[in-house]
Amino acid sequence: MFIGVSGYNHESAAALVDKNGVLIDYYREESLSRIKGDKSFPRRAIKKLLNSNNLKIKDIERVAFYERPLSAFLHTVKEASLNMPRSLPLLAHQFRNFNRSSVSCYLDFAKEFKGLETKLIYSDHHLSHSLTALSYSNSKKDICSVVIDGFGDRSTASISLVVDPTEINELWNCPYPISLGLFYSSITDYLGFSINEGEYKVMGLSAFGDSNSESAKLVSNLMKWDPNSNKLLSDMSYFDYHISTSNSYSRKLEDLLGPARNPFFPLVAGDKDFQRYADIARGAQDLIVNLLIKIFTHAHNLTSSKRFLFSGGVSLNSASIDRLAQLPFVDEIIIPPSPGDSGCAIGAAFFCYIKSNLQNSLNISKPSLFPSVIEKRNDKFLTEKIINDHFDVLADNEDDAFSKAAELIGSGEIIGTIVSSSETGPRALGNRSLICDGRNKDTVKKLNTVIKNRSSFRPTAPAMKYEIAKKYYQLRPELYECYKSMSATCKCIDDNISLEFPTTHVDGTARIQIVEKNSCLEKLLSKLEKFNIEILANSSLNVSGDPTCFDLIDGLMVCARTSLVYLLTDFGLLAKKNSIY
Amino acid sequence: MFRVNSMENMSSQLPVFHETAHAELASALEMLAACKNTDNPKQAFGYFMHAKDEYSHAKCFFKMLSQRAKKVSTEKAREFRFTPPSLISKGYVSNKGFLIDTMKLKDFIAFVYTNELLAKSSFEKILNLVGPGTDEGNKISSIMMDELRHHGMAKKYFLNSYPALQPWQLAIYRCRETLQNKGRKIYDANLKFLDRVLTPLYKGLAFIAGIMARRLNLIEFKREGKNLMDISSYSIL
Ligand SMILES: [Fe+2]
Ligand SMILES: [Fe+2]
Ligand SMILES: [Fe+2]
Repeated sequence: MFIGVSGYNHESAAALVDKNGVLIDYYREESLSRIKGDKSFPRRAIKKLLNSNNLKIKDIERVAFYERPLSAFLHTVKEASLNMPRSLPLLAHQFRNFNRSSVSCYLDFAKEFKGLETKLIYSDHHLSHSLTALSYSNSKKDICSVVIDGFGDRSTASISLVVDPTEINELWNCPYPISLGLFYSSITDYLGFSINEGEYKVMGLSAFGDSNSESAKLVSNLMKWDPNSNKLLSDMSYFDYHISTSNSYSRKLEDLLGPARNPFFPLVAGDKDFQRYADIARGAQDLIVNLLIKIFTHAHNLTSSKRFLFSGGVSLNSASIDRLAQLPFVDEIIIPPSPGDSGCAIGAAFFCYIKSNLQNSLNISKPSLFPSVIEKRNDKFLTEKIINDHFDVLADNEDDAFSKAAELIGSGEIIGTIVSSSETGPRALGNRSLICDGRNKDTVKKLNTVIKNRSSFRPTAPAMKYEIAKKYYQLRPELYECYKSMSATCKCIDDNISLEFPTTHVDGTARIQIVEKNSCLEKLLSKLEKFNIEILANSSLNVSGDPTCFDLIDGLMVCARTSLVYLLTDFGLLAKKNSIY
Repeated sequence: MFRVNSMENMSSQLPVFHETAHAELASALEMLAACKNTDNPKQAFGYFMHAKDEYSHAKCFFKMLSQRAKKVSTEKAREFRFTPPSLISKGYVSNKGFLIDTMKLKDFIAFVYTNELLAKSSFEKILNLVGPGTDEGNKISSIMMDELRHHGMAKKYFLNSYPALQPWQLAIYRCRETLQNKGRKIYDANLKFLDRVLTPLYKGLAFIAGIMARRLNLIEFKREGKNLMDISSYSIL
């Protein structure tokens, strides 16, 4: 058995791969601690991996950490040292917190899982990303891997050629501090959203902006591709992320674009300044798309590959993927369901597996979209009184529960799901979702505002079967895998009724999900046929600011805290009684 | 009481709401963790309802925070944005795990018992800040009622589970916790003082280290043209 671990800098997670190259379990720390974006040493995740799979320390052959800790530390320190004295607070902070950085992962293992520290090995940060993405590809050979994130242990973007899992050659990289990921985060911060969480909002907001506006043009010129040296260029004087602990952008950026947004002020379409913010978001989005095109073109030139793995935080920018698929040399783009750092735990676990099987034939199985192991028995027993007192069980066997849920959706109700194992990545794909009739404007609006408290400029995703998606959207075969995990948006077909769907964004795109065979949503959609419903609106099941629900108790808690009434679970369909308010 | 809602006044109130919201959210997470950790459905129910209350307290304080932060400068407001991982970095949730994982059950319940009372008394101060009888004041009063109820439940549960313990023993627990809380505050104040004294020193040291770091040659880390799978997997560099 092999464990991969990520953490300390971004969301932490732990993954378990067995000796046959199968991902058998995976947890993000935030799912268990209920602290969104939890980046602490993933003690709960590792513990759960061991407990749920009845493993002892001695059963673990190797553990891999997803990056080289000292390298990550030294690169940030070196960069800051070049900007003294302005960077002194950051430097002082780095040195004082040395023992809380990933450098201490060895000690944390020694302290919390005695014996595992002796089995610890290290992978490169971008290699972990590449291996994660590679595991989701059907073919594991001759494919180009593009990794673009904020910062790993050396670089902020890289291109490698995967000859096979044992030979992954890095061909190009972009050194810190020039970073597409940190650029986008700085704009996120400037626009008053939280870094590592608000990037989705910037993407949603950009659809309201105008590429030809002055603000958009100013932003889209902040970074460039130099065709002679094949390098990314950026005027770092607009940014502070490499020299400050608290500011990601500099005064100079505010001088250029006007004052930053107060994060506590609601952002509503039509309000004063809304258009300026939307234009700035548009500029950031345009910059990302333009530079991604340059990087992918360079990747193709270097490798002549037509198939691409794409990972790192920037690949979560689903609105840019459709444009990449239109590049003439692209045949396929694979984005793993968890392309950020938490997903790196999967790549790190496969790194152990490959390192330990160099002599034997390798067989990396494509992981399921729902890999975590669940313990239904305990959930049922523990929630007995909560359910008895506060919920009615409308149906208790699976088939009845799905039929009844379909009936409720047909009558305009919203259903939460806690069914089977949970999703790998940040997007709920049906097992931990809030769903309703995707063409019912009022219900979709209610889901967005009353339950989720989402910003009005972020549309909900529609989920459907492939045959249905073809009728409404301009699907690209290059992105078929991406549609399964909501990793790419697509355009509505011209003059098509889909332009009117409540799940369609103002720019005529939608972040569609094509449901997998035998998944929870596929079962529901089949039952919904008789109600003439072919599209579900699908959003993650959580209260805003919280991680997506993990177990039944989390789901019951969402019901208790919001106006959500119905919960589809492994034990049947529950309906909240009024008394819980 | 006479209150001016000037920008300055608002600014000075922000930390109170910011910290209290953190504390309430941390209590919610502690209760949720306890709920998932127990093997008794009745206890799970109790913790569940308690967690639900704490979540709603946190929500109230976040709302009061945002009402105020809206009215101050963007620069100031940015300092009071909430990011969930700060629950850990600020120490509201221990980086060693939740209390239920690290404490004996008896101590945990005693902790809840005493903390509910302490929470209530700190809310009295906030109540004066927003003014009793105002909308916000009424919210806070009802939160205080919740805390009293939690305290009562914890007390009842504690006495039921540990019948040999007498109420006076609980009083000792309470004293101990109050002292520890005071201790924490003094410790915190000392730390802050130390921080002020040491910061120039740290910066001085950072400066020297920075001069050395400038000379670091990171060319060694270049991987271009290399097979990443071949680089030693034991190196942290
Ligand atoms: Fe990364
Ligand atoms: Fe409370
Ligand atoms: Fe309480």
